[in-house]
Amino acid sequence: MRRPPRDLSERALAFWLLLPAFALLGLVAVYPVLNLVFTSLRELHLAYGPQSTFVGLANYERLLEDGRFANALRVTLLVTLVTVPGAALLGLVLALLANLPYTVKWPVRLGLLLPWAMPLVFAGLIFRWFFESDYGVVNDVLRRLGLTPLFWLSDPRLAFWAICASVIWKTSSFVALVLLAGLQSIPKEYYEAAQVDGANPWQAFHRITLPLLAPSLFVALIFRTITALQTFDIPYAMTGGGPGNATETLAMYIRTQTVENLNFGYGSAMAVALFVLCMATTALYLRFLQRGEGE
Amino acid sequence: MRGTAPFRLGLWLAGLALVFNGLFPALWILFTSLKTEAELSRIPITYWPERPTLANYERAFREAPLGRYFLNSLVVAAGATVLCVTVSAMAAYALARLRVARATLVLLSLVALAMFPPATLLVPLYQLFTGLGLRNTYPGLILPHAALSLPVAVLVLYSFFRTIPRDLEAAALVDGCTRIGALRHVIIPLSGPGVFTAALLAFVNSWDEFLLALTLNPAREMRTLPVGITLYQGEYLFPWPLISAALVVALVPVALVIALFQERIVAGLTQGALKG
Repeated sequence: MRRPPRDLSERALAFWLLLPAFALLGLVAVYPVLNLVFTSLRELHLAYGPQSTFVGLANYERLLEDGRFANALRVTLLVTLVTVPGAALLGLVLALLANLPYTVKWPVRLGLLLPWAMPLVFAGLIFRWFFESDYGVVNDVLRRLGLTPLFWLSDPRLAFWAICASVIWKTSSFVALVLLAGLQSIPKEYYEAAQVDGANPWQAFHRITLPLLAPSLFVALIFRTITALQTFDIPYAMTGGGPGNATETLAMYIRTQTVENLNFGYGSAMAVALFVLCMATTALYLRFLQRGEGE
Repeated sequence: MRGTAPFRLGLWLAGLALVFNGLFPALWILFTSLKTEAELSRIPITYWPERPTLANYERAFREAPLGRYFLNSLVVAAGATVLCVTVSAMAAYALARLRVARATLVLLSLVALAMFPPATLLVPLYQLFTGLGLRNTYPGLILPHAALSLPVAVLVLYSFFRTIPRDLEAAALVDGCTRIGALRHVIIPLSGPGVFTAALLAFVNSWDEFLLALTLNPAREMRTLPVGITLYQGEYLFPWPLISAALVVALVPVALVIALFQERIVAGLTQGALKG
């Protein structure tokens, strides 16, 4: 009989508990994005003063003619296309290795967690060394094998691959951790039954592991795709976008246009483009989550 | 098959390959940081330091305010963690335990909002924080870092709160506790592990973040570790000895946290990523 008033207070309590989260996100996510869209429709170049004028879609039209933007978009998409499957594959191998029945588990965990927890930019700095032409580990190995050392970071094409390799190393650990959880949730009985039926290990992997791992793999892939589209730290640390602008990603170009050139209007249009790209990917992910919500 | 020699050898090799893949870059940096300048500029390169020295560490602290960077990272990460976990726990509790209209939708929108890409928030946050005088201040990084970690914290805490039996709370209410009282006497004491996991993930997120820190707090005395160490490099020279020593200093806490709390981190990561 005391139900209605308690219900009301429960709702009020829920409201007050949710408010801070939305306030925080309002300040540092929602307002900025609205502001971003607004700024992208204006000419605002702080180097020439604080005044801004409404220019409609002019900034977006300029994007279409900007070769450097086209290149940054191309690099970003290529990095995504190479590193997402790359990290998924290496991550899968690592997860399968980590799932073996070790008696001492902590070194394996450390081997997975340290790359995950290392700041991206540190991985970039370390790999910059790995690929250094005189003192780098990669060329040292090439020399010892009797091969010609290469100028990894000063050749545009090689620099791209060096960056991709570094991103794959750094991000595969996250994929592996997610997949490992997926692997461990597969009931052992399935494999025992398969063994009784005379399945070989490859058949067991193909028929049991892969299908049951699919949801985890999908989640990891989407997460990775969203972060790959925003690649910044590793190329920034390894090549600074060079040689020339050969390895400049969208996130890097946005930062150069805005924070360095103070061209906020144009930079904002670019950021809106990246935002749309990322949100489209996130929408895909949320749809997947919602479908899984049926339980 | 389990006990056979080839199987055990294979197991060893597999484990070794995994550990090597994960640890080699970090170990290489550690060895590099212990080498003398002379040894570092020799070809072919050496792997194991011939005459280990701590000179690079001394220089790394002397020539750049590495201690200050460390402190900045600590303050920002701790602040972001406390803010993020507090705000997330409140929201997650409301969503998991109270009657909220369209709770799933609210949860998803919280997560989606917090997933706005940092690269696109750069321009407006730069303008907003310049206007508010928050650039090159601790709160100016704590706020966005807390928001960045919000999705994983909310998801971890949400799934954790749902594992606490409702009966415990109901019993407290019957015993005359208020909602807040039940929260304080039942939920909060039981929330330790969930809160701790969310806090770990938020801390690592903030400790690692680079792009926003670089843009919003570039002043020398306000740099976090990733920013400070990356900006060691001049235009043309790349001071390896200094950077390697600084990297080791910055990675030690990360490695320690991992070594101590591996299980929690793994559990939290998978909860945050897989459960909705």
